[in-house]
Amino acid sequence: MHLWPAFLRLDGMDGSMKAGVMRMRFAPYVEFAKKAFAREATYRMEVATEVGSLVLRVYLLRSLWTALYAQNAAPMNLPLHSMITYATVALLMSLILEVDGTRLIREKLREGSIATDLMKPISVPFYFFSDGIGQTGLHAVLVIPSLLFSLLLVHIDVPSPAVLGAFALSFALGYCVNFFINFLMNSIAFWTLETFAIQLIVRWVSDLLSGQIIPLMFFPGVLGRLVVALPFAAVYSTPLLIYVGVIPPSGWASAFAVQIAWLVSFAALSSLVWRAGARRVVIQGG
Amino acid sequence: MPIIRTRDLRKVFRSPRRVPGAFGALRTLLSREYEEKIAVDGVTMSLEAGELVGYIGPNGAGKSTTIKMLTGILVPTSGEIEVAGVVPHEARTENARNIGVVFGQRSQLYWDLPLVESFELLRAIYGIPQAQYRRNLDAFIELLQMDEFLRTPVRQLSLGQRMRGDFAAAMLHDPKIVYLDEPTIGLDVVAKEAIREFIARINAERGTTIILTTHDLADVERLCSRIVLIDHGHVVFDGDVERLKNAYGKFRTLVLAFDEPVAHPVLDGAELEEADGATARFRFDRNRERADLLIRQASERYRLSDVTLEEPDLESIIRRIYVEGYAQPEETPR
Repeated sequence: MHLWPAFLRLDGMDGSMKAGVMRMRFAPYVEFAKKAFAREATYRMEVATEVGSLVLRVYLLRSLWTALYAQNAAPMNLPLHSMITYATVALLMSLILEVDGTRLIREKLREGSIATDLMKPISVPFYFFSDGIGQTGLHAVLVIPSLLFSLLLVHIDVPSPAVLGAFALSFALGYCVNFFINFLMNSIAFWTLETFAIQLIVRWVSDLLSGQIIPLMFFPGVLGRLVVALPFAAVYSTPLLIYVGVIPPSGWASAFAVQIAWLVSFAALSSLVWRAGARRVVIQGG
Repeated sequence: MPIIRTRDLRKVFRSPRRVPGAFGALRTLLSREYEEKIAVDGVTMSLEAGELVGYIGPNGAGKSTTIKMLTGILVPTSGEIEVAGVVPHEARTENARNIGVVFGQRSQLYWDLPLVESFELLRAIYGIPQAQYRRNLDAFIELLQMDEFLRTPVRQLSLGQRMRGDFAAAMLHDPKIVYLDEPTIGLDVVAKEAIREFIARINAERGTTIILTTHDLADVERLCSRIVLIDHGHVVFDGDVERLKNAYGKFRTLVLAFDEPVAHPVLDGAELEEADGATARFRFDRNRERADLLIRQASERYRLSDVTLEEPDLESIIRRIYVEGYAQPEETPR
């Protein structure tokens, strides 16, 4: 894990390095997260709309899968109730995973306010991460009413505590992989300020290939093997398949290992990209 | 022991040469040709702790580039730089603890949050002890009269209120050095005066070293004892405001208003600065020419409706330097 400290140190750690020991104060980042939470909470209408539209989508997906299953009973041995559980949990997860703290990179580069952040004694990437965590916090609160309303419309399987624990761990890893995918996408703004088109394409591709909408085992043949090998699978598919039991306890360790491998590679890549991007800002003058 | 020291500081921006025409953008991307722009060209200066220096120059002179290098977000092309014992771009965060920055054109406050929450965030960022935070915040609320808008979201503040908030934000952690980049831009006269008063008090009471960049020379006249004048990346004057005024102050301006239009007014011993037919401005050296004799000469040649004699202010002195370049004038014997 040599690259991770480098990732933090390169931006914002130089002043805290004493005798080779990295001392990092967490107080600012806790505060960033709290402020992001408060900021998100000020947009009340948006919050209400979000819960409403999610519940609507839960209902639509239930109808869709029920209709599809009427044509083709239990494809890939995934019974209808598991499929509806899968689709509903995926939607609840999306409430949390759609948060993108790193879009601040793009916004701040466009406004030029990244210079102001670099004049503060903080690690700027870690600031983005904590801002995302704060937003996630608010969205996590939203999961509760969304879940309650959804339960009025659909039945969701609740697995054993061990499976729930494994799901939570896998989800946390997926969250971090998602952070770095977003980080890399938004970092394109260091080189070209117009990133909207690229982001939209990646968003569509990842929605489809992450297993958020369709379980990845439904993809046929080579395509099926390809999508499982892509990093997007680590975000949605792995935790969801653990939840519905398609990945049995004997497969958990290797599933986590693949997620961790993606996480470490993306963290390292993000470190390099940030270093190059920040250097570019510093040379060009913000 | 100076608190800020630069030697032969240079910054050259290098950007790919733009190729015009169809596929120009693509060729620009592939081109190996670069354009170089020298923003700062050998700036050497040193500031003692507690000084309040006006760093002025025309647009594009290299002021902001210098400030960015002093804050550590821009790496110099060559030269030396040291701020409070730290090389800023090598120890960005350590330097950040020593400095405070106010940009007139850009806020460091958090747009969606009430003003006071931005202050709390800064307390966490700098790890300001609670007692010090309370003391500073109370003092600033009083000095800058921030009571009534402390709980207002920043995006709803007027420019004057926002600037006051930005000033407090920059000073909460008791920085040794503060950079102010056009802090009074766009403010009305009352707000300007409040900000100037605040700057003067911070400098006098806390001994904070301040570099003030501005185009409003009234700021400089009111606040600074020393000016560093920069043009085309070079320091062209560094010294007392008084010395600059005295050096150029030997010139007076005689303003004539004519009864009937005069196409090319001439006065022996004075230099025509500008004329529009109805009025004319003549500049003369008060050590060589006598004002009363010039006025008599003028009244003999032209029918005058009004005569005014102007003392040079800092603004007109600086304007002359921008236009004509700085030539070290001989000191006027007193």
